Amino acid sequence: MARDILVLVEHSDGKLDSTGPQLLAIGSRLSIEMKGELVAAAIGHQMENVVNALQGHEVDRILVVDHPALSFAGAEVQAHVFAEMARQIEPGLVLMGYGLVGMELAPAVASKLGVNALTNCLNVEIRDRVVTVTRPVFDGTMHAEIALEENGTAVVALQKGPPIATTPSAKKAVVQSIPIDLKSIHSRSRVLEIIEEARGDVDLGKAELIVAVGRGVGDKDKIRFAAELAEALGGVLACSRPVVDVGWMPRERQVGASGKSVTPKVYVACGISGAIQHLAGMRDSKRIIAVNKDPNAPIFQVAHIGVVGDLFEIVPALTQAAQAARARVSRRSR
Amino acid sequence: MNIVVCCKAVPGLVTDLKIGADGKSLQYQGQLLAINECDEYALEEALDLKRKHGGQITAISMGNIKALDILYYALAKGADKAVRVDCETHDPRVASTVLAAALRKLDFDLVLTGTQSRDTLGGQVGIATANLLEMPFSYAVVAVEICDNNTIKARKELGGGRYAEIELLLPALLCVQTGIQPLTFVPPARRIRARQQPVVSFSLADLGLQAEQLAPQGYRFVGIRPPEHMHQIELLQGSSQEIAAALLKKIQESL
Repeated sequence: MARDILVLVEHSDGKLDSTGPQLLAIGSRLSIEMKGELVAAAIGHQMENVVNALQGHEVDRILVVDHPALSFAGAEVQAHVFAEMARQIEPGLVLMGYGLVGMELAPAVASKLGVNALTNCLNVEIRDRVVTVTRPVFDGTMHAEIALEENGTAVVALQKGPPIATTPSAKKAVVQSIPIDLKSIHSRSRVLEIIEEARGDVDLGKAELIVAVGRGVGDKDKIRFAAELAEALGGVLACSRPVVDVGWMPRERQVGASGKSVTPKVYVACGISGAIQHLAGMRDSKRIIAVNKDPNAPIFQVAHIGVVGDLFEIVPALTQAAQAARARVSRRSR
Repeated sequence: MNIVVCCKAVPGLVTDLKIGADGKSLQYQGQLLAINECDEYALEEALDLKRKHGGQITAISMGNIKALDILYYALAKGADKAVRVDCETHDPRVASTVLAAALRKLDFDLVLTGTQSRDTLGGQVGIATANLLEMPFSYAVVAVEICDNNTIKARKELGGGRYAEIELLLPALLCVQTGIQPLTFVPPARRIRARQQPVVSFSLADLGLQAEQLAPQGYRFVGIRPPEHMHQIELLQGSSQEIAAALLKKIQESL
């Protein structure tokens, strides 16, 4: 039986969210294996640019709900509209991203459809004719593989992966406007405004070298060890979420899904265990160095170079080595 | 403002993780249960709202008798009542069905919970429960403001330093982010005293549910394994000075 793949698309300012091409590439592969169509669903207002951006990704059909009320709709309304679109095409699988939008929408859409949601997935593939996902459990220290029943359906929410190189396809998708009566949606919440946090004095996105500190540092005062290393290496000091949560460092220094995504040439993770949300924000760094006393810490899954040991021994030694090297260079240049 | 806080009892270190005989659950050794950290933040937020606006806080958890420990912890922290639902499940659809049925028995204006639990990392139960109860919801909430008896405002994270300010009619459910309030310390004496407080227990029958209806459906676990490394990892060993020298060389090569 042919089974379509429905990709729920995120967009802003007329552009696809960065997970869009990844989801469409995965959706395209699955739709071929499931002998169905690749269908993209996008909702919002003034959708011409989004529709154009969806062309060229092997999409067979683009479903659009275009309404002024959707430009500022909350999750309650969005989930309702996406679920209604899914009901109309009865897909074999619904795919969406697992960013902060997907985290809120995936369980809501699945609950409305009465199907399972498989969230936080790292991978989705067809294995032995059934849809199989891989997702982390137990703080990311283990990965579970879950297979759907044959012909079973689910909402699969995928973590952002590394960028996928795709060649534009010549396939022209059919665009369908889906009539949905928005007035009939009983919404008990609304978006009042979108707030942009004032930019601080640091732009983590531009840094070539980042020294990041995690909860393993144990104490606010001890962050200076990492700060001194950052200074000695000419890099920028950053941190993982728990360090911000306890008030040791400001939010603008946070790397991760809810903070900044970074890809420096060197990322030195000091006492960071590597929660999924943190890895999502730094795993595409060119060279990742992790110092952690727990050999099972998930940070080592993404690291190129690992040191299992006490960061209060390794980090000051590295700072000294970097300072000594700098002193040698400045003596030579004199 | 009566608030229910949904807290999950999660294991710390687990060993011998394997797929259960039904194929639909994971089994492991791990005796010590603690309150899921995200849910502890939800409890702290509830306590802060109670200080400002009054009302009662009910902590609810699903699980066997071991889940009582985290409910006593919630009482010690300042919850007024505690409810245990006698149901052990890791399936989000089942959990939200049971939790919704339990919430129907409670009197509340607001439900608070965390964003996800450290064991299943699913982040589903809060929102699915809100959907079943037809309540408005918000995820990754970093601030809550009570406007009046019927309305609250929640600030939710959109990532990358962006936030949305949402107005929700009560009753509503919020999944709060870690860090929304500082975690407070509970003196051991208060934790011991809390163990004398009653905990209401709901069986599935009390909630009008039958265990057979609550079997996970539609999937099975086919593998459980340590994560693969994204790259070949080079582990450095030696004295701190040797490691530092090697690291510095690698860093200089990379810049």
